[in-house]
Amino acid sequence: MIQGLSWRRRAVEALTARVVGLGGGAIIVAITLIFFYLVMVAAPIFRPAQISELDVLRLPGSRTLAAGSNDSFESLYVIGADGTISFLDPDTGALRGSERLTPHPLAAVRLVFPGNDTYALVGEDGTATLVRVWFRRRFDGDIGYIEDHVDRLFGGEPLPLPAIRVGQATGHHGKRFDFYFAESVLKAAGVDASGNIRIRQFDQLDDGLSQPRAVDVRPERSIDRLDFGPRGDWLYATDSSGAVAVYDIAVPDRAVEVYSGILTRDGAELSAMTPLLGRYSLMAADNSGRLTQWILRRGPEGAGLVAARDFEFADPIAAIVAEPRRKGMMALDARGETHLLHSTSERYLASFSTGLPTPAAAAFSPRSDRLLLAMPSGDLRRYAVTNHHPEISWSALWRKVWYEGYPEPVHSWQSSSADNDFEPKFSFSPLLFGTLKAAFYAMLFATPIAVMGAVYTAYFMAPGMRRWVKPGIEIMAAMPTVILGFLAGLWFAPLVEQNLSAVLSLFVAAPLCMLGFAWFWHLLPRRVTRPFDGWFAAVSIPVLVVTTWWVFACDNGLERLLFGGDAQAWFLATLGLDYDQRNALVVGIAMGLAVIPVVFAISEDAIHGVPRHLTTGSLALGATNWQTLTRVVILTASPGIFSALMIGLGRAVGETMIVLMATGNTPLMDLNIFEGMRTFAANIAVELPESEVDSSHYRLLFLAAVVLFALTFCFNTGAELVRQRLRSRYGNL
Amino acid sequence: MRFLTRTNSPSGERTNPGDRGSTGKSPPRQGWWSSGAPWIWLNAMAVGIGIAAVAGLLGLIATRGLAHFWPADVAVLQVDGGTTLIGELVDIEFTDPASFEQTGQPGSGQIERWLLKTGNRRVNGPDFRWVPAASVADRSFPSDVAVFERTEWGNAYGRISAVYENDALVATGPPAWDELRSRLERVTELRDEIAATQARTIDTVNYGLERLRLEKRRRVLRGVSEASDIEERERVLIATYEEAETRLRALSEAMRRDAVEIVIMDGRSIRQPLSDVMRVWRPNAMTVGGKLLHYVRSLAVFLTGDPREANTEGGIFPAIFGTVMMVLLMAVIVSPLGVMAAIYLREYARQGPLVRLLRIAVNNLAGVPSIVYGVFGLGFFVYLVGGTIDDLFFREAQPAPTFGTPGLIWASLTLALLTMPVVIVSTEEGLTRIPRAIRESSLALGATKAETLFRLVLPVASPSILTGIILAVARAAGEVAPLMLVGVVKLAPALPVDLNPPFIHLERKFMHLGFHIYDVGFQSPNVEAARPLVYATALLLIVIVIVLNLAAIMLRSRLEKRYRIAGT
Repeated sequence: MIQGLSWRRRAVEALTARVVGLGGGAIIVAITLIFFYLVMVAAPIFRPAQISELDVLRLPGSRTLAAGSNDSFESLYVIGADGTISFLDPDTGALRGSERLTPHPLAAVRLVFPGNDTYALVGEDGTATLVRVWFRRRFDGDIGYIEDHVDRLFGGEPLPLPAIRVGQATGHHGKRFDFYFAESVLKAAGVDASGNIRIRQFDQLDDGLSQPRAVDVRPERSIDRLDFGPRGDWLYATDSSGAVAVYDIAVPDRAVEVYSGILTRDGAELSAMTPLLGRYSLMAADNSGRLTQWILRRGPEGAGLVAARDFEFADPIAAIVAEPRRKGMMALDARGETHLLHSTSERYLASFSTGLPTPAAAAFSPRSDRLLLAMPSGDLRRYAVTNHHPEISWSALWRKVWYEGYPEPVHSWQSSSADNDFEPKFSFSPLLFGTLKAAFYAMLFATPIAVMGAVYTAYFMAPGMRRWVKPGIEIMAAMPTVILGFLAGLWFAPLVEQNLSAVLSLFVAAPLCMLGFAWFWHLLPRRVTRPFDGWFAAVSIPVLVVTTWWVFACDNGLERLLFGGDAQAWFLATLGLDYDQRNALVVGIAMGLAVIPVVFAISEDAIHGVPRHLTTGSLALGATNWQTLTRVVILTASPGIFSALMIGLGRAVGETMIVLMATGNTPLMDLNIFEGMRTFAANIAVELPESEVDSSHYRLLFLAAVVLFALTFCFNTGAELVRQRLRSRYGNL
Repeated sequence: MRFLTRTNSPSGERTNPGDRGSTGKSPPRQGWWSSGAPWIWLNAMAVGIGIAAVAGLLGLIATRGLAHFWPADVAVLQVDGGTTLIGELVDIEFTDPASFEQTGQPGSGQIERWLLKTGNRRVNGPDFRWVPAASVADRSFPSDVAVFERTEWGNAYGRISAVYENDALVATGPPAWDELRSRLERVTELRDEIAATQARTIDTVNYGLERLRLEKRRRVLRGVSEASDIEERERVLIATYEEAETRLRALSEAMRRDAVEIVIMDGRSIRQPLSDVMRVWRPNAMTVGGKLLHYVRSLAVFLTGDPREANTEGGIFPAIFGTVMMVLLMAVIVSPLGVMAAIYLREYARQGPLVRLLRIAVNNLAGVPSIVYGVFGLGFFVYLVGGTIDDLFFREAQPAPTFGTPGLIWASLTLALLTMPVVIVSTEEGLTRIPRAIRESSLALGATKAETLFRLVLPVASPSILTGIILAVARAAGEVAPLMLVGVVKLAPALPVDLNPPFIHLERKFMHLGFHIYDVGFQSPNVEAARPLVYATALLLIVIVIVLNLAAIMLRSRLEKRYRIAGT
């Protein structure tokens, strides 16, 4: 360090070193931390669920038949066998209020499908009443509080139904009735004293209910449980042995048995059963410890139930509680072992032991973050459940999954729907497939053009032309991809659709015409051709233009000649290929144009950088230019060309706008060049703005970004390492 | 995007092997195939394809984009069956026999058909219709056919038959044209006045009222209930508002005074209020000079006007403004940070494996897909940083987010991150080029490291820093995918800069040329009619990007020359 500096100079020196050191280092570290931030957001989807027990509350009054809470668990309620609903403070257990709902004691209570707030109360006399529990948030100044409400539907009068024989009120027995109430239609089904299933359908009018439309069914067995199916159009009737019958009741006054079967296997007895959200599937447990998901399948060959997946346990499951807003559930056995499960992802999320017998009533809070178990002893046990992303598992992301309503396991991506009971389909496979498919066709188009172009530019082109070509290609690299995508989608895709034969023929015709022209050129006297040495690229452009014009002019003739008049129909009939207007061919060419400049620039540098003494040596030994090029130059530069291709691939994998605009964005898994695809990048661009923050979908899209990041980072790092080695090799040569 | 490579740049003295002649050098005329000449031609063709593709695409965009503003002649077609069609000939197509058979008409080979833009979609249905050329009995271009550009329902084509004032006939026949022109001028003035009042008064009052509402809420949160001064200010604002509204009502009443009667192609007369007419012209009666003037005016409207009809008509000024604003802000962020990071990497960090690793990482970040940056920007900037800012400083506006929602500042930050590697690499390249001797002589003369940096190294490296910044700006201007996540909207209600304090509203959403192309081209209900505008927008975007890139390329080549001179 130089002595005798003024304090000012020394301060500036120190300050600069400090600011640049800290600031610059921080910036670099910060931008490399992007990856870790993305991982951090995505990671919670694989975390297991957690359950912890809160204090036990004592319930007032009689045996509990149903329990529930408001959305954010600020008020909970229990409906007792004496026909009283009691609202409690969930923290202290203090009584917030209670109300007598029926004059007579209750035999059973059931949630009315498909909502989560309406209950059917069935008295010991077999009459049924509907009540709706609801909450309202009130503000007093800035302090909010919750108001509890109970409405008696249809004037609180018992519904005009035949008497229901409830039977034993706990377990899956004692559910010998079910109600469906949505869109002003009320459907009721119950088993009467003689064992008949009696189905009634009412329309809700302004002043009450319409006259019922009735249909009765005489089942072969004694039915222990009835459940309405999706939209109230189906009815599942089960007995305690596991025999099930499915009735189609979509048309009032009619009930058609469409399927009958056994929910258990190997002769086991049914130990518990419950439908999942939306009731497209039934979870049936048997006394061997198996829990099976049966999916309602509808198809041309008729409806039926198919076993989609099994969960295995050491002890038989005694009760199952479905989550109110997801396809998850809790299964508990007779010794109090409790398991948190999810159907789609087949995940065993968490297990814990209550050490208690089967509860009298059990329910999740609406957000599934609390679990309520009302014990026969009068205790109310509460558990805090942390279970944010049960529907995601690593295997469900990549493997085939059997979704509700599908005849077989499939790869599918379908993240949202208008229905509340929709089963989200989160499979990365079609997205990865689409990404690679788009990149593959793009590279297929780009590689020959870019590499061959680079060879010519670096090795044969006159410097006068090269000075213009290199910046020209650089400009092409700068072309905003949204413009390429727009042209591809709105100009090129219709063009290809109308002139498919011409476009396909061009891939053959252009090289052939070029070779023909080259032969013609060869026949010209040397003194004519000499001035054009090194300018072949410019000479080839008119040839290309004429060829293209000629092929397009012959489109109709070609179409008749090659494809019998209609190319699209020919491909469908002969090769079974469907044709979409926005397809992989269009994307391949458009994205190829975006990739060409990248691959071209790097390969050109690599070829041009081959040490000169290698080529001169080869030429001096008598090799021709072409021999020198293929045996010396390209071999030496091949790592550089390889790295150029890697970087091009990285770009093709991550390109968003072209794919978004030039494909139909349907998540297909089909290599067909005439069909579209959905890529990771386009999927993120389409879905992330609408995705709810911190939901599974949101985190999955972050995971998709991580996958994209990792893919391109691998390609680029590989390319960079190869290039660095190449540079040192050129240095050594 | 210019791809980031540290190229060993071709030095001038190197010649290409191609100079030596490629085909006929060795005498063998016999071994044409084995000489490799066909392969050389194929390689040349690859370059040709690249050049032709670039030129062709640019040409396509330029012709389609620029042709739209030319006042095309309006044809009057007498079609078989006695119907008359009036419209612009947009396209001529030869349909192939397959679709020809479907039309069931006799003949051989292809049939020619014309695409006619008949406009007036409220009366005629779709804007466009196909007319088989063979069915046209007569085609003429009468000079009295006029084109009406309207604020609603697209263009109308027809003959002017009369002008009305308050339903009273003012002029018919030929004088109606001049009458219409002068009355249209009045309407245009009124329209401008309405727009000015709207911008100056109504928008300002609304903004002020919203701020007062927030101020009141802020006091409630703080526990102060005194709000009489706010209510006083509110009363003043509302009074201003009512005054302005009365004035607006009077103005629009005045605008509705006049109407023109148009005879459209099916012979019906429609009464068109002038309040909905933007411009009228008679292209068939125009001279070339007149058309040129009209062309320039249309172009000016396109560049400076606001969009209409779900962005399918009118101008793109907000998109231009938003793009420029976002890119400028990004440049302001990325320049100092990127340069500082590069200086650190090259001048201050101890060169070792760690720095080499960091350099590879930075280099690779340039290849990470832009959408990934968008995801990061949405999660980190918008929800985490923006959400925290809202919690700390904008509690009165909650639950409506202020900064915790996509906006201009987040878009600029995200793109700054995206383009940071470009600036770092380019700056580093400049720093590496500075000969050691220059640095060492500075130090030997007694300058400190910082002084050498500020007085010598940075000035000498400034062209490459500038190159990096220009490339970053060019890339940011053309990038769309991340913006879709962090702040761009199809129609922004207000510009990010206006007359209301604090004048620059960084939290607002904005419009962007690239997104405009995507939105109008793919999400708009009337793509066919909007397509020329999309081409024009694309042309503008491409011109901006190419000019920026050319500037960077020229700067770089000058730089190379300069060092060659310094080196000799």
